[in-house]
Amino acid sequence: MVSSESAMNDINNNETFMTPSTSLVRDIVLKIRSFKDRVFGVEQKDGIVRIKIHRDVLPNIVQMLATLKGIYLRTMMASDERDLEGVYRLYYVFGVDKEHTNIVLEASLPQEDPSISTIVDINRAVDWYELEAHDMLGIEFLNRELYRLVLPEDWPEKIYPLRKEYNISDLIKFYRPKAIEYAKEIGAENIVTIPIGPYHPALHEPEFFELYIRGEKVVDARYVGFMVHRGIEKLGEGMKYDQVPFLAERICGICGFVHSSSYCQAVENALNIDVPERALFIRSIILEIERIHSHLLWVGVALHLLGYDTGFMHSWRIREKVMILAELLTGSRKTYGINIVGGVRRDIDSDKISKALDVLKYVEKEFKQLVDISISVPQVNARLRGTGILPLGEAIALSLVGPTARGSGLDRDVRRDYPYAAYRYISFKVPTYSEGDNLARTLVRVDEVFESINMLYQLLDKVPPGSISVESWEPEPYKLGIGSVEAPRGEVIHVILTGSYSPYRWRVRAPTYQNLPAIPIMLRNADLADAPLTIASIDPCFSCTDRAIVVNIDRGSIKTIPIEILSLKGLKAIR
Amino acid sequence: MVKFLKILPIATKTGTVTIKYPYQEPLVTESFRGAIEVDPAKCVGCGACTRICPPKALTLTLEGNTMILKYFVGRCIFCGMCADTCPEKAISVTKEFELATGNVFDLYTDIEHEVKTCSICGKSFISKKLGDKVASKVSDIPSETMDLCPDCRRKEALKRFIGALE
Repeated sequence: MVSSESAMNDINNNETFMTPSTSLVRDIVLKIRSFKDRVFGVEQKDGIVRIKIHRDVLPNIVQMLATLKGIYLRTMMASDERDLEGVYRLYYVFGVDKEHTNIVLEASLPQEDPSISTIVDINRAVDWYELEAHDMLGIEFLNRELYRLVLPEDWPEKIYPLRKEYNISDLIKFYRPKAIEYAKEIGAENIVTIPIGPYHPALHEPEFFELYIRGEKVVDARYVGFMVHRGIEKLGEGMKYDQVPFLAERICGICGFVHSSSYCQAVENALNIDVPERALFIRSIILEIERIHSHLLWVGVALHLLGYDTGFMHSWRIREKVMILAELLTGSRKTYGINIVGGVRRDIDSDKISKALDVLKYVEKEFKQLVDISISVPQVNARLRGTGILPLGEAIALSLVGPTARGSGLDRDVRRDYPYAAYRYISFKVPTYSEGDNLARTLVRVDEVFESINMLYQLLDKVPPGSISVESWEPEPYKLGIGSVEAPRGEVIHVILTGSYSPYRWRVRAPTYQNLPAIPIMLRNADLADAPLTIASIDPCFSCTDRAIVVNIDRGSIKTIPIEILSLKGLKAIR
Repeated sequence: MVKFLKILPIATKTGTVTIKYPYQEPLVTESFRGAIEVDPAKCVGCGACTRICPPKALTLTLEGNTMILKYFVGRCIFCGMCADTCPEKAISVTKEFELATGNVFDLYTDIEHEVKTCSICGKSFISKKLGDKVASKVSDIPSETMDLCPDCRRKEALKRFIGALE
């Protein structure tokens, strides 16, 4: 890794770093340094402490971190750096909430033996990260069961898509769906198979829960997911820096702006780009508008799941005003498309600000009425209170994020803990509830709507003058950057390793990835009838991708049908 | 009174919120970004838009002696990056969003450009308009150099350089 810039000071030489406000981080670094020759270097820059360690001591260090409070695993990035240094590298990102600092443990694995000891027995949150790194890069995690998580079961063995030797067109050729064999087994030359599901009845997205029931009670639950893995990280490696925000925004159809913001922040962090203040304010404004519409959507869906469709209709009626406001400010109802590295693309003026204030006043008044009425509906209240309980201890152990964590009393919010955009210029509260039931998670979101409106009043009042993006910036290869944003569903974190023209490695972690493992815990001992709402209570968000693959059984060939052909010929394209 | 019945006066007061689309003006704001429009008179076929377009809805292809800038609205994400990038300001963002059609060919817009062919190897390399544009901006390029494709230009420059050495 190319480093040792003047900005990156050695931790011992950096006086400002030794202030009491960062005492926990200092203690941690000193403890890690006690591993002496197994620790190769410590660098600090903009709230990121990078510690290069030998792979042997990772479990010991994570064990040490596990004894401390207020530290959690935010994400883990595995990266193929064989053409740089002949190694694979793992970046474990731990967050120290109170001190606004990320601790990045970097372990190199030699290419001839890419293995490392698992830490899943110490930190349960790392489970999926290890499985994904195994699927995508072929990293071996010792002393644990490794199985396919992200890739489909019929993906060929030993083909690891994120390795640099494969480009996207190669990967498409490698995929041989088992459908061919299955079809031959049942002698299905002329039978059409129509897959139905698995979809969540409320959210229309691909997920699958296997619930084990005794009587009316759920005994256990198992989640099967990643059915439509899109390979977006690989795709981003082949796109230019300024094209990726538009791809990132399409990771989620409801809270896309958090992903483009997070990506831009990661690049800006890696390359030390100073974004103009006005752009930071506009980002915050749009992010809060997005949160309001997302929470109003969720409240509507939740009421619908409880059979109170009147509430659903009114929630979405109020939301519609927010959608039109978003279009006025950005040019689009959703997937706003105004984020670029170094700023934003659309300015706001006094006319738009006054229109925004009108909408906010309307939403504040109407939503307050609706909440009062909905919560007073006896059935709604009875089915929210005391169902889907998630204890605080489990929330901490699984490193949960967002309203799911805050509903269980885990006070964690990226806007306050790792300030970005314009949040440092305004004051706000972080609503938390300690009950951990569906009602608590609902009330967190309801309170957040009002808090967001309050934040928007401040932001719209304070928008500073100036430009809305930097004039130009230069990419510089192999810099590490972290960008995180508090999405409506919880924390989104993007880690980037820069390249010359495109990101060299781009790691995306959406909040649902972190929060889903909590669902089986919430469902245990719940009534079956409460399962749909409990599942929806983390506000899950999955990749929703439509595509057609045609499998010719006789020839054993497969082809993907491009949208152009499919729309032209319809079913004829498949025959 | 049972509190949840309070929704009734709210519903009565709000009335119908859906509009009689398409018999009523669609409610898009003045900021709305819809499909793009390329002005063939201004476009020089430089291809800057095709390089920035995130979903590759804009492509530049060579068919025989014609260079075609193809816009496929089916892939367009209405971001307007092309309009921001276009050096000739030939691309404008419209408010058009009623784009559904039964025939996929309705979704394509082509802009054709005449191409310049290399005076030595005969290969087509840029659009005539772009060539003229460059020539008008940079006055001291000899016209015979302007007529060469990048490969032949390099070879010719090398020949001249070696000639000068000898």
